[in-house]
Amino acid sequence: MSAILGALGEGFAAAWRNRGLAVVVVLVSLGLAAVVAAPLAVSVAHDLEHTGSSVEMMYGFDHGWWKEWSERQTGPSAALGPDLLGVGFAAKNLDLLLRGHLPLGLFTGPREAADSGNEPAPGIDPVILGLGALYLLAQTFLTGGLLGVFREPAGRWTFRGLVHGSGFYAGRMLRVMLLALLGAGIVFALHAPVARWANAHAREAVSETTALAWYLGHYALLLLALVLVHMVSSFAKVIVVVEERSSALLAVVSSLGFCRRRLGRALAQYAVVAALGALLLLTWGSIDGRFEVTGYKSQILFLALAQVFVLGRVGLRLALLAGQVALYRRAP
Amino acid sequence: MRRRTPLAALAGLALLAARQAPLRGEAPATGLPPLEAPYPLPPLPAVSPRIANYTIEARLDPEKHTIEGTLVLDWRNSSSVALQDFPFHLYWNAFQNNLSASARGGGRRAARLRDERDYGWTRVRGIRLLGEAEEDLLPTLRYGTSDDPDDRTVAQVRTSRPVAPGATARFRIEWSSQVPYGRIGRAGWVHDYHFVVQWFPKIGVYWKGAWNCHPFYANTEFFADFGVYDVSLTLPRGFVVGATGRQTDKRENPDGTETLRFVQEDVHDFAWTASRRFLERKARFDDPGYPPVDMRLLLQPEHASLAERYLAAAKITLRSYGAWAAPYPYPSITVVDPAWGSSSGGMEYPTLFTGGANVLAPPALQSPEGVTIHEAGHQFWYGLVANNEFEEAWLDEGFNSYHTEKAALLALGPKGWGRRYFDPALGRGARGGIPVVAPGVWLARGEDDREGLRKDGRTDVMARRGWEYRTPEAYRVNSYGKPALVLQTLEGLVGDETMTRILRTYARRFRFAHPTTQDFIATVNEVTDKDWRWFFDETFFSSNLCDYGISVENREARVLEGFAEKGGRMEWHAPARDGKKGAASWESEVSVLRLGEVRLPVEVLVEFADGTTRSETWDGRERWARFRYAGPARVVRATVDPDGKIALDLKPANNAWIEETGPARRAATKWASRFLFWLQNLLELQLLVG
Repeated sequence: MSAILGALGEGFAAAWRNRGLAVVVVLVSLGLAAVVAAPLAVSVAHDLEHTGSSVEMMYGFDHGWWKEWSERQTGPSAALGPDLLGVGFAAKNLDLLLRGHLPLGLFTGPREAADSGNEPAPGIDPVILGLGALYLLAQTFLTGGLLGVFREPAGRWTFRGLVHGSGFYAGRMLRVMLLALLGAGIVFALHAPVARWANAHAREAVSETTALAWYLGHYALLLLALVLVHMVSSFAKVIVVVEERSSALLAVVSSLGFCRRRLGRALAQYAVVAALGALLLLTWGSIDGRFEVTGYKSQILFLALAQVFVLGRVGLRLALLAGQVALYRRAP
Repeated sequence: MRRRTPLAALAGLALLAARQAPLRGEAPATGLPPLEAPYPLPPLPAVSPRIANYTIEARLDPEKHTIEGTLVLDWRNSSSVALQDFPFHLYWNAFQNNLSASARGGGRRAARLRDERDYGWTRVRGIRLLGEAEEDLLPTLRYGTSDDPDDRTVAQVRTSRPVAPGATARFRIEWSSQVPYGRIGRAGWVHDYHFVVQWFPKIGVYWKGAWNCHPFYANTEFFADFGVYDVSLTLPRGFVVGATGRQTDKRENPDGTETLRFVQEDVHDFAWTASRRFLERKARFDDPGYPPVDMRLLLQPEHASLAERYLAAAKITLRSYGAWAAPYPYPSITVVDPAWGSSSGGMEYPTLFTGGANVLAPPALQSPEGVTIHEAGHQFWYGLVANNEFEEAWLDEGFNSYHTEKAALLALGPKGWGRRYFDPALGRGARGGIPVVAPGVWLARGEDDREGLRKDGRTDVMARRGWEYRTPEAYRVNSYGKPALVLQTLEGLVGDETMTRILRTYARRFRFAHPTTQDFIATVNEVTDKDWRWFFDETFFSSNLCDYGISVENREARVLEGFAEKGGRMEWHAPARDGKKGAASWESEVSVLRLGEVRLPVEVLVEFADGTTRSETWDGRERWARFRYAGPARVVRATVDPDGKIALDLKPANNAWIEETGPARRAATKWASRFLFWLQNLLELQLLVG
């Protein structure tokens, strides 16, 4: 346990030492998301102009207006809804992920027709999926630079160094990412029959509780499998940079071996980071439900808090990455 | 709506102050009209006409899911003609094969038969006319209707001699049934849960000079005569049994079974359920002024924590519907929480109904309260007034939806908004997923109905026979949402007190009486002393939609420029230089627009910058009306239907015009920021696969 915590602690220290990196990552995310959010603001302002609902939407949420408005929406704006409030956004995102709504719509499988009376959670617009692909490419590009910084035990980042490292490792990072996507694809493909099997058991369960265990169980299994793919991919990236490997495929193979040998420790790092992420989310949920965003000042405050949350989340990702470097370096 | 300064928002953030939630739980008595009406009401009949009286003996084999039954039907010819042909419903033949009307239909209730276990049927083994002229009627038994020759949910027999008006015919029927699987229809079995409804050969209704005995369609519900039911059920020991009426006897048999006897007078159907897994909870409704009712809740063990919520919701219904219509007269009511995987949830039967719940049930979403209030509410319309649900479903579902929404809002406050995630879409009867409630989002009364009306309101005229709607969605909106909104609109136009008087009069006069839409309209006209037929022509007998909008134009008042006659000569008034105008004065035009086809009178509230207001009325006959104002203050806000009386208005959001554009911009940036935040998080999460 001390080894796990030590490596992760080292990772957090590295992430804190290079906190500017997290800001860069957040700025990339902000810039990309703003590409869709800015036109949405113009569109909503136009649709609300001179309506009584504009006041309702400014002080709270006018469900009647939103419902009628959303029925007319196509494209990314169709995703705007009350499900983004509180911790709903996280549930929505995880639901989308587990249903395979991933960059470029990869792994989106056919869904059984909902006949249960529940309103099915909606899918996601192709523009957003395209944006996801762009973000994945951008972050894959940056990963080489980030690892270049974390490789040094007391390394500090410079913008030039980040760009140089990113460019230097870009090709190999991209190949590892493609292999990871292939792995995720296999996971989703394997999950489909498992889901059918588990759902069949859920359908035939005597009690709702048993059914809940069946269908949430297969989602948990899927999530675990995706985490394992991510772990292998992430350590492969670490190996590429730490050992200056030229072959992405061989780095993945080495990563597989490393993860097999150090599975408990590697997974424990994920567990700790996930627990901290959940804590961050709960904190957000408790704040978000308790203050009202109305005028520009409170909106700026909201935006600032939101970016702090995203920063925290990105910080956790970077700390995990740095922790993985530390764990790999400490490995005998 | 509360307005808060950003400073207050900061303070709110700092303090993390808990938000006020609406009061929930059992309904307060306030808000309901007193039971003793200050106006004359029709007397309530003591008993029903008791036309179809059944004595049934049935045995359930829970392993084979079969029922062997014998019934004696005493049927009184209440018509003025002698009758020789007698149709019977054999509802479970809807599940016999893929040629039934139900299997051919669409929607969530249609029979979708896949596996062998799904199928069910009723086979009549013998049918005899008893009495002096006893005869075997089995040779005369024939199936099908002219509309649907393949359907076997209706069978007819013919007696050799007619049954005279006023005479009673006694039939003895022996039948065997295979219980269908519980995911297929309202009735059925899942594991040891058996929900046994529409299960015995049931005579049609001789009504308006003809037999009314329709096939079991995918969407439509039921219609039957009132009578006395005396039912003895035999099944293995250890089952918890719930049924229509009160249990009068229990006998243990030597073969390991037991026989339970249930009796209920003045009902038009008999339903029952049995399961070893049921938990039983009891309560009593004994509010002052109401007849006491013994309540019994049979629920799934995993839903034990929801027992109080189920019972409280049922009490809300007995209290509020009793006040708005007429008190519930039966001494008992049974609430059934359906088993996982059974699609028997959300259905009503005399003195027994099913709810529907999830293990994860945040109170804000009002589940199981909503479905419980609704299904319990059917007792007052379907159960006691008993319109023909095949032909005029809205007289039950619509009236009930109207009262459900009203009762839930009064007793529980507005419903929250949430979504269920990780719902694996397991099909009927499997309500899954993890609910997440959106903080601070509440639904106004009738909002769900308006959504349905926007989508499917134009498909069909509301007043159609249930199976004739073009789509299942059209059936749904015209049977539930639209009539509920029509009644809510009528309430807005005549006032709450008058509406209560209308419904009390209707519920009392037509208790046990199978009324029609025309009876209801006549009641409205009588109580209000006005002819409201135009209103029902615009709504019940139309597929038109209702939408009003409003716009305003403010202009600085014109100052005279040019020539004007004064003192017998033309005087020159020079134009103001540099565009400068004279004294501040405004000309405002408020345009009220009828964007939909439905024509209803509306009120308009105009608010001026100096705080003064003007109220206008418009009959809504033309496409638009314009109101002009000239004075020192411009219009800052104008609202059509300011009190929200026109619940049918599809887009209440365009009913108010405000001068300010700042709120629109601020609201837009606020929600775009929220969207931005969500998207950033989505992008981050998607990195998990790279």
